[in-house]
Amino acid sequence: MNVLIVEDDRGLARELGLFLHQERYQCDFARTGREASEKLFVNDYDFVLLDLGLPDQDGLQLLAQVRRERQSPASIIILSARGSVDDRINGLDLGADDYLPKPYSLLELLSRMQAVTRRKHGVRQDALALGGFTLNLSERTLRYGSTALDLTRKEFDLLHYLLLHRGKVLTRQQLSEHIWGSSASESTDHDSNFIDVHVKNVRKKLAQHEPGVEWIETVRGVGYRLKADATSPAA
Amino acid sequence: MTLRQKLILLSTVSKGLMAAVLLLVLPWAVQTLVLRHTDATLRTELRQVQARIQEVGIEEFLPQGNRPRRTHYDLLQDEFIDLQAAATGARGRDTIGTFARPRQGGLVDFRVLRHHTQFRGRPYTVEIGKSIASIEEVYDLLRRLAAYALVFAVLTTLLFELGVISYLLRPFDYIVERLRAVQGPTLPELPPLHTSTSDFQYLDGSIQQMLAKLQSVFDHERQFIANTSHELLTPISILQSRFENMLRAETLPEDAELQLVTSQKTLQRMTATLRTLLLISRVENNQFARQERVLVREVLAEVAAELEDRIGEEELTVHWEMAGEPVLDPANRTLLFTLFFNLLSNAVKYNQPGGRIDLRGHGEPDGTYRLTIRNTGRPIPAEHLPQVFDRYSRFDEAAAEGYGLGLAVVRSVTQLHGIAIAVTSDAARGTEFVLRLPEPVSGAGRVGAAKAMG
Repeated sequence: MNVLIVEDDRGLARELGLFLHQERYQCDFARTGREASEKLFVNDYDFVLLDLGLPDQDGLQLLAQVRRERQSPASIIILSARGSVDDRINGLDLGADDYLPKPYSLLELLSRMQAVTRRKHGVRQDALALGGFTLNLSERTLRYGSTALDLTRKEFDLLHYLLLHRGKVLTRQQLSEHIWGSSASESTDHDSNFIDVHVKNVRKKLAQHEPGVEWIETVRGVGYRLKADATSPAA
Repeated sequence: MTLRQKLILLSTVSKGLMAAVLLLVLPWAVQTLVLRHTDATLRTELRQVQARIQEVGIEEFLPQGNRPRRTHYDLLQDEFIDLQAAATGARGRDTIGTFARPRQGGLVDFRVLRHHTQFRGRPYTVEIGKSIASIEEVYDLLRRLAAYALVFAVLTTLLFELGVISYLLRPFDYIVERLRAVQGPTLPELPPLHTSTSDFQYLDGSIQQMLAKLQSVFDHERQFIANTSHELLTPISILQSRFENMLRAETLPEDAELQLVTSQKTLQRMTATLRTLLLISRVENNQFARQERVLVREVLAEVAAELEDRIGEEELTVHWEMAGEPVLDPANRTLLFTLFFNLLSNAVKYNQPGGRIDLRGHGEPDGTYRLTIRNTGRPIPAEHLPQVFDRYSRFDEAAAEGYGLGLAVVRSVTQLHGIAIAVTSDAARGTEFVLRLPEPVSGAGRVGAAKAMG
């Protein structure tokens, strides 16, 4: 998949490109609104990652222009450090597919991109399997066979996120950013420590039905990893 | 007292004073005028009598024999002319005065002009009189006329002045109305003020200037916040992405990995602090629109759901005792969520295991709603209570725990919404936050169509 990274800060663009390259995305870069317009005119992209604070133009203008002139069928995700109140609402109104305030976790960005792709291609993944468990996404429930497990909202989100990135190590920070979002809560320490509590509770609930299987593995000091599927190993 | 009332009062009082003075002075003035007029009439008549005497001789006027004779001109005996021979030497100037004279068997007051004259060498005295009663009739009439005129003048000028005062002060109401329309940093385009009163034009001009200054302060601060936000969040963003990329490398030694995770955590704390500070600035810079009608119970339930794991982990119980359906309107749902999230997460954080959280509320007679959030945690020392809403106040230095910025956010959001907030804390009752929600402005807004912030 082709991604156009519209970002005036070289350092940030570089890290973003590095990460996406490893995730097998082809990245192209634009540092100004003009450059972005030109590239969008010439090339086809699946994704545009759009910074709003461009040196020559407001990113929202570019967004409006792209959507108005139907220059590109690309999905557009706004990445903004302005954090202005209206940016998110205006961005989504102007046709952006998602919005992430800076700083964001790269993993969160990847998850959002995957979600946009699924949505675009009409892939309605309703259920995810984990051993004998089924995670039902529309009902937000976890079942073992026909028995429903009593998961809290946060526990469901945690398990879902681990399942989406099955086999990869997720840091507490990545997990807490996904679960608690960027909501201006000052008790961040508390939040990331609370990930351990969530994990402990989810483990306990899973173990009640499949004792002996350590689904969520601890990676010491770093975070957690959902045990890779033995039959179809994660990419 | 309004200026209009004062002006009206002033006008009324001054008119009243004027009327009182006039009513006191008028009888005297009218009386004097009438008497003077009467005296002039008597003199004219005297001249006519003298002319008559010259014409027809004096005998006709003199009394016949010893019987005194008077000539009355009218049937009612209101006027008389009397001519008598006087003792020699009775000379002197004319005198006018009020004397009693017999009339129809009684004594009646007359205004009398007495004149000494000589005719063919003999002295005579002429008296011409007019009864006081007949004078007083005129006097009465004049007095009544003056009183009516006075009342009429006072009332009409008063009414006229009321109208003029109202008209003159109309621009004042208009200016106030326009000022009321100013809410928040985005100032509405005000139409020019139409008045010929230069004072009001001056006032309006000064206000416009002040508003423009205010606007530019708001604009500068908004710009500053945006710049700060960008300048600080971009490098943090680079670091965070770099750490994340580094952690993905499979060849990383374990201790380097741990150091990275620690750095990441520090960075995350910094981000959270920065975001909170920016949030406070934005709230205080009025960058959040209040356009929604928010059901408070709904937001509280959402917050409680968000915190259910923590509440469960600490084995806390939440007691709901909220009467009625508190509504905030206009309001910003996202901010209210943050407000209640901070209050409730504090109630969880500073509670003791197995403690309780009470959510109580009831409507007050004045239309406000009293909401209390109480926890059974360690009390905040009384001397720290006044500072809990300040940025970075810590109530327990030793424990290095503090309310940090959470309650500063709470204060900004409550101020924006006109919610009064107070805190009490003691060992027996725990810590209690009391919020007084203002009466909703009915009609405006729509129920929580908020797009929640990410």
